[in-house]
Amino acid sequence: MRPSIIWTIFRKELVETLRDRRTLLMMIGLPVLLYPMMIIGIGWFQQSQTEKREERASTIAVWGEDGGQVIDSLRTAGKLTLKRWAGASNEIRNTLRDPAARPAPPLVSSQPLGSGQRGSRSTTEPENSVLAAARTAVIGQGIDAVLILWPGLARSLEGDGVGSVSVYYDSVQPDSALARDRLVEGLGRYRTALVERRERKHGLAPGFTLALDVLQRNVASERRRGGELLGMLLPSVLIVMSLLGGLYPAIDLTAGEKERGTMQTLMCAPVGPQEIILGKFLTVWTIALITALVNVVSLAATITRLIPGTNLTLPLSSYVVTFAMLVPVTFITSALFLAVAAFARDFKDGQNFLMPVYMVLAMPAVATMLPGVQLTATTAFLPVLNIALLIKGLMLSEAAPDLVFLTLLSSLTYAGLALLLAGRVFQQEQVLLGGQQSLVQLLGLERRAGRVPGPAVAIVSFAIVLVVVFYGSLLLQQAGIVATLLVTEYGFFLLPTLLIVFWLGFPARDTLSLRVPPLRALVGSALLGLSAWTAAAGVLIRLLPPPDSLVRALERILLLDGKPVPLWIVWLVIGVTPAICEELFFRGFVLSGLRRLGIVPALLVSALLFGLAHSSIYRLLPTAFLGLLLGYAVWRTGSVTCSIIAHALNNALMATMVYAPTQFQWLGTAKGQFLPWKATAIGCAIAGVGLLLVASVPQFRYGEGAQAKP
Amino acid sequence: MEDPAHLGQHLHVLQADHLWKRFGDIDAVCDLSFDVRPGEVVGVLGPNGAGKTTTLRMLAGILTPTRGRVAIAGVDLGRNPLDAKRHIGFLSGDTQLYQRLTPREMLAYFGRLYTMDEARLSRRIDELVEQLDMADFASRPCGTLSSGQKQRANIARAFLHEPDVLILDEPTAALDVVTGQFIVESIRRERAAGRSILFSTHIMGEAEYLCDRIVLLHRGRAIDIGTLPELLARSGCANLTDTFLRHVGQDNAGIRIQESGIRSGNSSVHLNPES
Repeated sequence: MRPSIIWTIFRKELVETLRDRRTLLMMIGLPVLLYPMMIIGIGWFQQSQTEKREERASTIAVWGEDGGQVIDSLRTAGKLTLKRWAGASNEIRNTLRDPAARPAPPLVSSQPLGSGQRGSRSTTEPENSVLAAARTAVIGQGIDAVLILWPGLARSLEGDGVGSVSVYYDSVQPDSALARDRLVEGLGRYRTALVERRERKHGLAPGFTLALDVLQRNVASERRRGGELLGMLLPSVLIVMSLLGGLYPAIDLTAGEKERGTMQTLMCAPVGPQEIILGKFLTVWTIALITALVNVVSLAATITRLIPGTNLTLPLSSYVVTFAMLVPVTFITSALFLAVAAFARDFKDGQNFLMPVYMVLAMPAVATMLPGVQLTATTAFLPVLNIALLIKGLMLSEAAPDLVFLTLLSSLTYAGLALLLAGRVFQQEQVLLGGQQSLVQLLGLERRAGRVPGPAVAIVSFAIVLVVVFYGSLLLQQAGIVATLLVTEYGFFLLPTLLIVFWLGFPARDTLSLRVPPLRALVGSALLGLSAWTAAAGVLIRLLPPPDSLVRALERILLLDGKPVPLWIVWLVIGVTPAICEELFFRGFVLSGLRRLGIVPALLVSALLFGLAHSSIYRLLPTAFLGLLLGYAVWRTGSVTCSIIAHALNNALMATMVYAPTQFQWLGTAKGQFLPWKATAIGCAIAGVGLLLVASVPQFRYGEGAQAKP
Repeated sequence: MEDPAHLGQHLHVLQADHLWKRFGDIDAVCDLSFDVRPGEVVGVLGPNGAGKTTTLRMLAGILTPTRGRVAIAGVDLGRNPLDAKRHIGFLSGDTQLYQRLTPREMLAYFGRLYTMDEARLSRRIDELVEQLDMADFASRPCGTLSSGQKQRANIARAFLHEPDVLILDEPTAALDVVTGQFIVESIRRERAAGRSILFSTHIMGEAEYLCDRIVLLHRGRAIDIGTLPELLARSGCANLTDTFLRHVGQDNAGIRIQESGIRSGNSSVHLNPES
């Protein structure tokens, strides 16, 4: 790679891109206009709405005859227009005039009086005629809230009892919520006065009934409060906008260039594909960076110039750091955009391809607006989201240095991967010249009759099966364990495997390793199946002990949910079925596909995929270990029968141990979570013999080009 | 690049050695071998779909052959693509220019990609602007040029680094008679200057008029290679059209012959299969 050539390409692409009005609009025009409009617009709209609402008096329908003194006190509260029986039907009047009428009990068990806000409880109640009538009045009849004075209110207030009033309001309507606030405030004032009167009447000290005055004070500084609002809003807006800047050039420089027929012109010059991709990448990245810069500057200017004096100001350093954070984000997205857009044949195609990618990348940025989403060791590894959260943290001035480091490190890794992907895409001549089946060819998914699948097919198939299993299991949530197991195994593992094999025309026997192994290998596999679990139960789970809930859930599955079924049915469902379905997929299809990578990587990757498919971090290591042994047996013998037998025996033995725990007490499992060392050692010895038996058969010779290298 | 005389050390300026190209299940080019000697004009002649474009793209290093080897001025194109490409000037009917750059900017860009030094580059650009009569439009964005002007700018790009061999893929396709003629004359001029040229066409007259040797291509295979008199003698026909039809006619009754006017005194015949 020659820097001078990359520089030449970069300069030319940049000049050409900057001469395009559409890019300039996205890059500079939009941000310059957007922020002032957004902030002025939202502020103006909100203010005018709030002002209007504050000015307007709330219309309150008062239902109930009793409690004149409450009404009188509310009249003096102001901004409340009280209307007796407004919107109430005769039926509801009659109901509320009945001396026995009482408020409906709340749906959730109510807190005792006095907890929370004093003497005021907000809950929902079951559907009843009063609720329905109040809802009709509030939603359809221009009434902001309904105040119900329950019968007997006056008597309770005059004596020393507790009187009840209900406020019905609609939290969705700001006007109704405001009416509620005003009502509660007015009623609260009345109550305070009443309590004081009662204290005086009974000769109690002032505050006797209050007992404890809880004072709450906000420690957040002005700056922090400003940062909170901006921190919620800005990372998402800035990232969404900066991504937009790179979107158009990424399409223009790849799909657009193909559409205009200039890609061919460039490719006949003495320039390497990496030089082309790097030059183009630098261009897209530069444009995205300029966009990010214009966005940050426009935003800073808007905030400081247009709304001075508010608490929304941030120091200059916050903006500088925010821009610095956009550097890695734009790096990742530029590389990814370029890689994806390269597949597109023309500009329109490119937009269709990139829009979903853009949405997926922008979505995590929007997630920062959710309260409680914070930068942690986990979120620091989620691309784009981590940077968005870091910007949020910086605005609140609370970013821990190690998390900053993690975020930058993971972002750099993703950026490198994205650029590698883009580079690989650009080395495909079909992609560059706009071939029709580019994606299929890049992933090696072409239909090749008579040959076993390649690694890409294996991994893509694994991804498909994983997705099918995931969504399928959501559908099966209501079904019982037996149905779930059978449908998952046959429907989601076996059926897709067979469909892929026949649909893509792979030879079933070679692809799935459907052969009869030597007897010795079968015996060895059976020994492995009966004993290999000891290594997992005695050693591996000590490294990462599974939580009890998982152990119990697994036991429940092994027992088929405790249904009283004969043991042989358990063996069939738990042992034989997964053995056949999963082995044909993992040790048959996937392992054959991966064999071209060389046997060690193939075994490791297939075992890892097998472990991942069990979708629990605690089961990953044990299952992957088992997958490794089974994979070795299949590779050595060329026969999936070995692993089916081992897998079936392993599962059946596990189920039997849970089914009849007393029969297995001699193993010492009852004493603790882990298998004792002695049993583990014996088990491992047996497994070793099994492995030796398998290894003693002559290596199976794979026929075609994809030969296994030991 | 420099004086073509240095090519005396090579017997071939371009050599295609058992080339194959397979797209999916289709063999676009099968076992094709031929060469271009210094100072020679070789035409690749065949109907649409014969594999001309695929062949020329492989020779220009745009496509990688599935099998076989290409050497340009003695440099292996597969092993040393950047060095080999320096010796090639490629032009096709559908190579396009950057819409938002002017011809001068475009030429400067490619000159830098060919790592020409700036002084020589600017001299060469002036020279080409004059030679190809581009002064009127050399500083206007390519997007605003007429198709004839674009093709002239394109020729300038292909000739810019003074390559040893010009690979021209149907350079006159989709052009009007005047511009087409301009290109044919440019090819003749380059030949007179001793440059080697490989070009493809489906116009028999163009081939007869320009070529020292002709490769007859049909369904990805060379059905005959030789000088015009050799081809005529072997087929026993009076002209190239009949020769071609004699070779492919038996198994391709779908070929329709179209008379399409007279060009520089030669009759032009377009071959359009299944049109």
